[in-house]
Amino acid sequence: MQLVPLPVALPLAVAALLLALAHVVPERLPDIVATLTALAVAAICGVLAVHAALHGELVYWFGGWTPRPEAVLGIAFGVDLASACIGSFIGLLFAAALLFAWGYFDEVHAHFQVLMLLFLAAMEGFSLTRDLFNLFVWFEVMSVVAFALTAYQLEMPSLAGALNFTVTNSLASFMMLGGIGLLYARAGALDFEAVGQAVTAHGSDAVAIGGFCLLCAALMIKAAILPFHFWLSDAHAVAPSPVCVIFSGAMVSVGLFALAKVFLQIFGGSAEAHFLIRNLFLSLGAATAVVGGLMARAQRHLKRMLAFSTIAHLGIMLTGLAAMSSAGLTGLLVYFVGHGLVKGALFMVAGILLALRGSVDELELYGEGSGLAPAGIAMALGGLLLGGLPWGVMDAGSRFVSDAGAAVAGPGTEAALMAGAVLTGATVLRAAGTVFLGLGAEPDPEEVGSPSAEEQEKANRPLWLMMIPCGLLLALALIPGDVAAKIGIDAAQTFGGASPAGPRPALPSALLSWISTAVTVGLASYDLLRHRLPEAMAQAISVVSRAPVHALTKLHTGLVSDYVIWIAVGLGCFSVVLAFG
Amino acid sequence: MKQWLKLALLAVAGCSLVWPVWRIARALPPFGEPTGNYGPEVNRLGPPLRHISNMVSAVNFDFRGIDTLGEEFMLLAAVTGTVLLLRGIRGEDTSAAPDIIAGRALAGRAESTTVICRLLGPLTVLFGLYMAAHATVTPGGGFQGGVVIASGFLLLYLGEDYSAWRELIRSHIVAALEGGGALLFALAGFLPLAEGHAYMENTLPLGDFKDVFSGGLMLVENVGVAFAVAAGFTMLFLEFMEETRSLEGDGDK
Amino acid sequence: MSVLPWLVAAWLFGAGIYGIVSSRNFVHLIGCLSVCQSSTYLLLLGIGYRWGGVVPVFYDHPPGTKAVDPVVQALVLTDIVVGATVTALLLAMAVQVDRKYRELDPQKLRPMRHEGHQ
Repeated sequence: MQLVPLPVALPLAVAALLLALAHVVPERLPDIVATLTALAVAAICGVLAVHAALHGELVYWFGGWTPRPEAVLGIAFGVDLASACIGSFIGLLFAAALLFAWGYFDEVHAHFQVLMLLFLAAMEGFSLTRDLFNLFVWFEVMSVVAFALTAYQLEMPSLAGALNFTVTNSLASFMMLGGIGLLYARAGALDFEAVGQAVTAHGSDAVAIGGFCLLCAALMIKAAILPFHFWLSDAHAVAPSPVCVIFSGAMVSVGLFALAKVFLQIFGGSAEAHFLIRNLFLSLGAATAVVGGLMARAQRHLKRMLAFSTIAHLGIMLTGLAAMSSAGLTGLLVYFVGHGLVKGALFMVAGILLALRGSVDELELYGEGSGLAPAGIAMALGGLLLGGLPWGVMDAGSRFVSDAGAAVAGPGTEAALMAGAVLTGATVLRAAGTVFLGLGAEPDPEEVGSPSAEEQEKANRPLWLMMIPCGLLLALALIPGDVAAKIGIDAAQTFGGASPAGPRPALPSALLSWISTAVTVGLASYDLLRHRLPEAMAQAISVVSRAPVHALTKLHTGLVSDYVIWIAVGLGCFSVVLAFG
Repeated sequence: MKQWLKLALLAVAGCSLVWPVWRIARALPPFGEPTGNYGPEVNRLGPPLRHISNMVSAVNFDFRGIDTLGEEFMLLAAVTGTVLLLRGIRGEDTSAAPDIIAGRALAGRAESTTVICRLLGPLTVLFGLYMAAHATVTPGGGFQGGVVIASGFLLLYLGEDYSAWRELIRSHIVAALEGGGALLFALAGFLPLAEGHAYMENTLPLGDFKDVFSGGLMLVENVGVAFAVAAGFTMLFLEFMEETRSLEGDGDK
Repeated sequence: MSVLPWLVAAWLFGAGIYGIVSSRNFVHLIGCLSVCQSSTYLLLLGIGYRWGGVVPVFYDHPPGTKAVDPVVQALVLTDIVVGATVTALLLAMAVQVDRKYRELDPQKLRPMRHEGHQ
């Protein structure tokens, strides 16, 4: 199938061409070319997905180096239904982000579009590859582009945020390389299938499980799971909005996607890996969901709030992976797409507010959103979807994940995941109410001083132009859950070679989703109408919730040295849990 | 968090990792006695199948060519990113006046420096070109040669007046070379695709073993990489050197 | 000792981490990140080494001579490029921070001035 290298090779070639001709192209051309390339990539991956659905997984060997009996010498892309669908979604998200960024980055001679195309190519390669070192190369390309784009504003917050992002993710790539080295030493190969065979043949092996831990730590840093999550809020708060759409919509989730692939295709036969995942990842996922939700509630900077909500939702996705069942895997894949669509749309709303109202601080924007009704509706809808509204792709994913989590670890997990979703959804609804409807207490004039430096984004695009990609993403997010579930179940069956344990799962009932939505709306109403409650009641409730949140906030210092210490602690956790296995 | 608490936390994490590191070190194949098959197979199959003698280049440009494509574009991304970061405040203008740092004397350039640099600069560039061209027969290749070429240009900076150097090395040309080199590499992969083979399959005539022009498609990829790396590192030097110039007026954005 | 390279690699990584955590200068931090990276070079190259093996370039030796592993050398080549690129980006950030804020202490570089809602 000649189309397989194109999702990677096409954006790379177009980016190189744009860079070579950077000084002679007319002004709008890079925008148009980049958006068309992203759409082309999405279409090609769509064709590949259809092919995979009809004919099964397609394995494409680069350079014609098909496997030999003595060794696997070449690099392959493994195009199964899940990878192709994810690839298509990524292309679509990039097209939407590039449309949203139309005219944003005028002065830089197409450099922004070049970087975005390289980002697209790297994410496509990352999703499709079947080779460990190739995975690392695309991981690095993704990271380098992200570092550069985060520091773009060149103010102190952007540079500090970019520093935190760069140092933590570079450490992630070094750990990944260490893990790859260990696996290469054991297996003498770098292809997933070949390494998997060697790992299974060797049985209980310190080198293989050490490699697994390092790979997991690296991918979890990228996916912002507790205790590796600190960098995400800093990076998102300062990166330009079109870039945040990609970060939250796809970059972090694809880390978990790769983790699932690595686990299923390489370590499916390793008892220690199963032990680690069942005992550690499940708790980490639930903890991440709750911590992310609590921290989101405590934010007033809209982008930082959305960043913490991303962290919470990635915790939910990790729980789906940790359940290691067909339902859990289906949940992971469907949630990837659903969450990406909703979060992308919400970051676009934040970008609209920043461009048209000059601020991204919830208190500063009190009531300023009037006149931007479409954005307000989008934000409210996004908040409801995050909180569990029983309609659409994200809800289908979360139903599968909760079901899988409960089957493995009981109702406590379900409660934690619902808590995370409720907290984030309610926070977004609260922000929507404050900004667009002027609900809630009038903020104290003293408090209204933005906690970050003056923020501005270019205001040269009209509202309707910025709403088009936002509306498109939300419309896609509202595709009925049954359709998404059907594709997700099929994708999970063929993901990772062998089908995971258990019969074909069915979409669970909507009961929990209704409960979740009700609690979300209730919590948001409490937040917005609290100032009308009797003083004593409001005081009592806030005293209970204040202390843990205050402690958590104190831990998020913004200093890179602290973040590195937490990474070391995370690695220590891995080794402690394994000691009991 | 107090400083001592942070260091204590780090120490605890470190201690919990000592035993696993020891276990892994013991379980690895002993140093000098690797057990894998990948390396020996490449060494065995490279010369007869691809007619080249530098196995590292074979792995880089042929067996694992798509990795090198990614790596090449990562370099492109980093250079583009650095340009974006450094020009963001400075703008696109160049300035000939050096930046004055209070308390540091501005020494002139000694004649001996200029002479040595004029001798060694072109020689270094020549050596870099030699190293890049002989990718498939002796140690070296596009990456290594490209960096040597770029450092040759840096030697020229040391020997010449800054404005003369800037006249010689124009950023438009350097950017075009960089993009062009990367594009050449990407297109080299498309050539076999157009012929119906796999992406980046080596379908050009392979030449004779130990000849400079052996290796087929690897040579084309190598040329692309050499241009892109040389231009990329030169661009980095350019941008960082511009930072040592004084800003005319307020460099505000 | 046949485990020495692996232990040295682990030590380098640990020393680099300690350096990053206790660093008071942005440029020093970048150097410590390089130290962390050199541990990966050592690990990979150590894995490929073979006693009595020659360079995997068969110009002076005939093909078929026992040689060290060329695959890890190619991997390390990529790794070096990664290191160079990330260092360049970080140094560019350091230049900007210094130029605008005259401050290079990582302990004083925070993205947010203060937090908080209610």
